[in-house]
Parts: sequence; structure tokens; C-alpha cells
Amino acid sequence: MRAAPPLLLLLPALVLVPVLIALPLLLHGGGWELLGQFLQGAISPSLDPLVLNSVITGLGVTLGMALLGWAVSLVLGFVLGLASSRVIWQSLSGTALPAELVRRILAIPRAIHELIWGLLLLQLVGQQPAVAVLAIAIPYGALVARVVSDLLDALPTRNLEALRAGGAPAGTALLTALGPPLLPGVISYGGYRLECALRSATLLGVFGLGGLGNELVLTLQSLQFHELWTGLWVLLAVMLGLESGIGALRRRWGMPARFGLGARSVGQQGRELVLTLLALVPLLLWVGNALEVDPRSLLQWQPLPPLAPQGWASALALPWPSMVLQTLVLTLLAAALAVGVAPLLLLLVAPWPWGRRLLQLIWAFGRLWPPPLTALLLLFVLKPGVVTAALALGFHNLGILGRLLLEGAEATGAATEDALHCSGSGPRLALLYGRFSGLARSYLAYGAYRADVILRETVVVGLVAGTGLGAQLRESLSSFAWDQLAALLAMYVVLTLVGEDLSDRARRRLLRPA
Amino acid sequence: MGAMQVPSPNTTPPVLALEAITVKGRGRPRLDGVTLQIAAGERVALLGPSGAGKSTLLAVANGLLTPSGGQVLWDQQPRAHSARGRLRQQARIGTLWQDLRLIDELTVQQNLNAGCLARWGWPRAVLNLLLPIDSAACAEALQRMDLDPELLNQSVAALSGGQRQRVAMARMLRQEPTLLLADEPLANLDPRLAADLLELLLEQAGAPRALLLSLHRPDLLQGFDRAIGLRNGQIQFDQPVSEIGPEQIQRLYGAEATSP
Repeated sequence: MRAAPPLLLLLPALVLVPVLIALPLLLHGGGWELLGQFLQGAISPSLDPLVLNSVITGLGVTLGMALLGWAVSLVLGFVLGLASSRVIWQSLSGTALPAELVRRILAIPRAIHELIWGLLLLQLVGQQPAVAVLAIAIPYGALVARVVSDLLDALPTRNLEALRAGGAPAGTALLTALGPPLLPGVISYGGYRLECALRSATLLGVFGLGGLGNELVLTLQSLQFHELWTGLWVLLAVMLGLESGIGALRRRWGMPARFGLGARSVGQQGRELVLTLLALVPLLLWVGNALEVDPRSLLQWQPLPPLAPQGWASALALPWPSMVLQTLVLTLLAAALAVGVAPLLLLLVAPWPWGRRLLQLIWAFGRLWPPPLTALLLLFVLKPGVVTAALALGFHNLGILGRLLLEGAEATGAATEDALHCSGSGPRLALLYGRFSGLARSYLAYGAYRADVILRETVVVGLVAGTGLGAQLRESLSSFAWDQLAALLAMYVVLTLVGEDLSDRARRRLLRPA
Repeated sequence: MGAMQVPSPNTTPPVLALEAITVKGRGRPRLDGVTLQIAAGERVALLGPSGAGKSTLLAVANGLLTPSGGQVLWDQQPRAHSARGRLRQQARIGTLWQDLRLIDELTVQQNLNAGCLARWGWPRAVLNLLLPIDSAACAEALQRMDLDPELLNQSVAALSGGQRQRVAMARMLRQEPTLLLADEPLANLDPRLAADLLELLLEQAGAPRALLLSLHRPDLLQGFDRAIGLRNGQIQFDQPVSEIGPEQIQRLYGAEATSP
């Protein structure tokens, strides 16, 4: 018995069975009224000028942090990406070893979530706007570096060899042969990172690093749901605007669609692209000025509190096995929920034309709504724990995966679906057989990559829902136990690197031609 | 193929009837008041130059395209109002697509069974993706297309072009349709393959089943009962093949020959 591709796509949804069985046991009885009030708030957001004003101000700060963090990460990532490219080191110095070394080192900043960077920097240099910018720039820079070097090393080298054989010096030959084919992929990925940066900046705000996230969590905790929804609707509008703007630019410049679920041809309108990039420079300077970001203040570190008298013993005495186990279970549950529920929902709404629009709206909320806030909402009615945390994290990632699946489904398989429809299959079966067949492998491969991201994100909900390494991280942070913190970070790095390796393997297996 | 007696539309109820069908297009209409009937057991060829509206007519006939004017009747019934009724109607129309539209990620058997999705509920549709089901019927369907039943477990992506054509046809027949539609199935095939495939297709038609096939080559008309000439979205002639003269064919394709 072997599941065929379209069914493979639905297998992760089996995780719903244990989750739905566990759910009634997790209810603590109260809180439904609050949840109802929250939902009612959606249709009657507060229009009080004071509220609107603070939402707009908060949004401005969040957007500014996102934009600056993103820009720094791109510059950082591009330079580091070149520095970790095998083909560049090979051409310039004859050996690819330094590239491997840089890659290994960059794995560490990449493995640590931007929230941890933010909280650490907050402890080190105090509350200031530059903290959020740097917190985004460090892990994003390392991520961009990996993508840049992977793209570079995957390019065919024939052109480069031809130029070198003709006597061109290494530097100019690299620029001429590899520059143009590299650019579309990097710019397309860069655009996607800006969407992520907006989400990260909102999340950092939830933990007190400024901006709209801060407003959201304060209104939620004080149960001012009408004011909360004012912020949510504004954020939704901005996020959808940003996503469609980036999508439009990507299409206009002929950049490849994300992760090749629907392949498009690659071309470019060079001059317009360069002008857009140049226009970003004054904008960034203005934003930096308006936010009063001062890089020099990052150099003034506060002294670390002394290590506890018993030394490393307290760090070693932490309940490591159960923390690690909880983190892994949380990752798998959230990943399976996100990967499996998206196709299930698409099948469910297939007969109705408005169904997809409704899903798009719900998924958009999932993307913009920081997972710790979902966890807080769920805690109105559920007890804290792994399942509650997984639901919150799963919902967020469902928003990301669902959008990708829908984009992929709309780009491929229309003819096959029509054919099945014309032979009398119902809309759900036509979608399952016609479109999901072709999508299954690349979607699951992306899901494997996403699971790796989710592992990194567990810290975000763990902090709130009291589970896994994240819960301990919060305690260690608030008691300035640096030994515990260092041990926790090391564990995160190890888990993430192992996870990255496993997800790479899974991805390669899924994408290998049968 | 022996000479067939042409069934008279007056005595046999039509499987497909188009009444004054119009489909708007950019500038001139793609179909302009097309009326025709196809009786059970009839084999009808649709001729015409490129852009005459053959594909549009077939898309109207299989329900993919709703005409802007006129009425389509399948088995003497107009388009059903309920979604369920429409699916039941669609299930009786088998289409052989020019691009075949097989599901490359699935095996031959799973593809053949995809023709039965209209009759099957979810349990069997899901089971088909897990286990080889209805093996005997699938093997028989392959044999009817002169294909080796050993192919059942292969992925359709691994088949040759000619094998894929036959698998697509077998899938269409698994559907048990009363009307077979095919849009230029012989384009892109070498002459031998084209002749073989046409013979297979003609064999499948016979009461209560009818065949409507669009054709680019008038030299392949043998074996059809009737031919319809389409030009600029209008019917030029609709008569038994035996009565069609070379000058009619020439007039049908005329502009194409004189255009630069």
C-alpha cells in the first residue's frame, strides 16, 4: 500500500485526530464569553481618534523597524553570501574551504530566532529602536547569505569557465558570468523577506520592543477588543497591500515566483529596478532619522551580572529531556497542522466560489497575527501546554502555507481539473486528482523547509504558553541567569542545525524525480 | 470500415443537439447560429480551416463553455439546474483532449479509474490513491485499446506518446459515456499512429454511443457517417460523407489556400 501524491498531501492532516481528541480535555470551562467579545470586536473596531492615532503611530514604528532591519539584512546577507560561496572562493583563491568555514559560522546566528536576539540585545544595551532593527538584521542577514550562496553555487559555471579560459581576470569574470543570472532570484527572495520582516517587527513589538505589536498586546491584555481590532484591520490592510505590491513588482520585472511552485520565465527591466533600489536609500535614511536609530548607542553595553555561585551546575540541572521533547512535539504538531490543514480546507470550500476568498482572508489574519497573541487568546478557553502552543503556531504557519498552496494551485493543473470536471467528477475530487497531484511534492518539500522554520519559532509561543525550551528561556532571561541562557541557546542551535539537516534530506527526497 | 447506414435524426433520438448556438468573440462571433444534431451510433467528423470554430463548438458540446445564445441538449435534456444533475450529465460526455490531460503523477490504473470519479464516492476515490482497485476492468479497458495490461502499474509519465493516447482513450471509455468528443486527436501523430487511433475511435462508436471528432485532414473521412464543414463560425455543409465532393472541401478551405 503506497499513498499516491494527492493523498500524500492530506496525510499530515491526520494529526487532527489526536488533537481533536485532546481538545475537550484541555478546556478549562471559562472564557467563552471573552472569546465571543473578541470576535464581536471584529465588526465594530474602535474609530476613536485617539485610538486611531496610536495605531497609526505604532504602525509607523513597526514599518520603520521592518524596513531598516530588512535593508541591513540584505546588505549584510549579500556580502556574507558572497563570502560563503564555494564558486567565488574557488575562482579567487583556488580553494573552497573558507566558504565552508563561513557557512558553518553563519549557521549559528541563523539558528537563533529574531525574538531571542531581540531579548538578548534588550538585556545588553537597553531599550532603544536600534535593538529591533539589529534583532531582525542578524538572523535575516544569515538567512539571506545562505540563499545567496546556494543560488550562486547552483548556477551553471560554463559561462564562467569560458570567460576564464579567454583570459578574463577572476573578479570581472565572476561579475559578468554570474551576476545577471543571480539577480532575479536574489531580488525575488529579497521581496519575500520584506513581508517576513513586517511580521517579525510586529512580533518583536508584542515583547516590548516598540511599535504596533505593543499596542496589540496591551489592548488584548486589558480586554479592549474594539481597540485591538482597529490595530488588526489596519495591519491587515498594510500587509495585504505590501504583499500585492511586491507580487506586482515581481511580475512586472519578470522575477521567478517564490520557491518555484509555479515557474515563470525570468527576465528583467534593469533601469526601473536600479532606480527603485536607489530610491530606497533616502527613504531608509529618513526612516532611521525619524525612529532616532543611533548605531553608536549599541556599543554601550551594560555589565553582565555575576555568574551564580554554584557555576554551571544550575544550567546542567535543568530538565533537559522533557524540555527538548516538548519542543520537538510542538514542532511536529504545529508543522503537521499547518501543512495538512491547508489542502483540507481548500478541498472543503472547493464547491463554492466565495470559499477561496474567505480562506484567503482567514489565512491573511493567520500570517499577520503574531502566534503569542493567538496563544493568549486560546488561553481564554484552553489550558496552557503543548497542544495550545501548537494550535497557535500552526495557525500562523497555516496562513503562510495556505497562501503558497493556493498560489500554486491557481498556477498549475487547470486543464487536468477541467478535464475531470467535464467527465462528471465533483469539484472536490477534481481538485484533489487534477491539481493536487502535480503540487504534492513541491508543496510537501516546502512544508519540510517550513518545519525547520517552525522549530526555530517554537520559542515564540513557548514563552507564552509555558512549554518547551521557550518557557525556560523566559525564566532564565528574567533572572539574568547567563549560564542557563548560554546552555539554552546552545541547545537551540544544535536542535535547529539537526532539524535543518533532516528537512534538507526530506526535501531532496521529495523533489528527486521518480 | 464497412459502409454504414446513416441513422436518420428523425427516427433515433439525438444524443447531442445544438440549436442556434452563438458564442461571442473579439470582433466577429466564434460561433454564429450553429444548429446540428448527432444521433446515437452516428460518427460525425467536423471539418474546417484553423480558426473556423471547431474547438469552440466542441467546448460547447462538452459543457465547458456556455454559449451566449441558443440551446444545447444532451440526451434531449437542457443543462441541469442542480450541481448533482449537471455532474450526472457531464459523466455521459467523454472527451479526448488534444493534450490528453492525464495525471502524470499517478499510475495508468489510477488514471483509468479517474474516469469513474463521477460514479464513485469519496471512499473509492481515496482508495484508488492507495491500492490498485478494479484491476480486472482496467486490464480489459487496456486490452480493448491493444495495450498490454502489464502497463497498469506504470506511471503514465513513463509511457510513449502513442501509449498515452490510448490510455487517455481507455479512461474516457471507463466513464461509460454516450457521446464521445475529440478535438483534433490526430494532430501531432505520425500517419501510422493516426490511422490506428482513428480506427480505434471509430470502433468505439455505435448505438447508443455517438462520436463527434474534429479533423484537420479531409483525406481521413473514410469510416465516418457524416461530415460537417465549419467556416467563420458558421456551418457550410452537413451531409453524408459519400455525398461530399472535392469542390466542397476546396471551398471550405479556400481562403486558407489563397491567403499569403
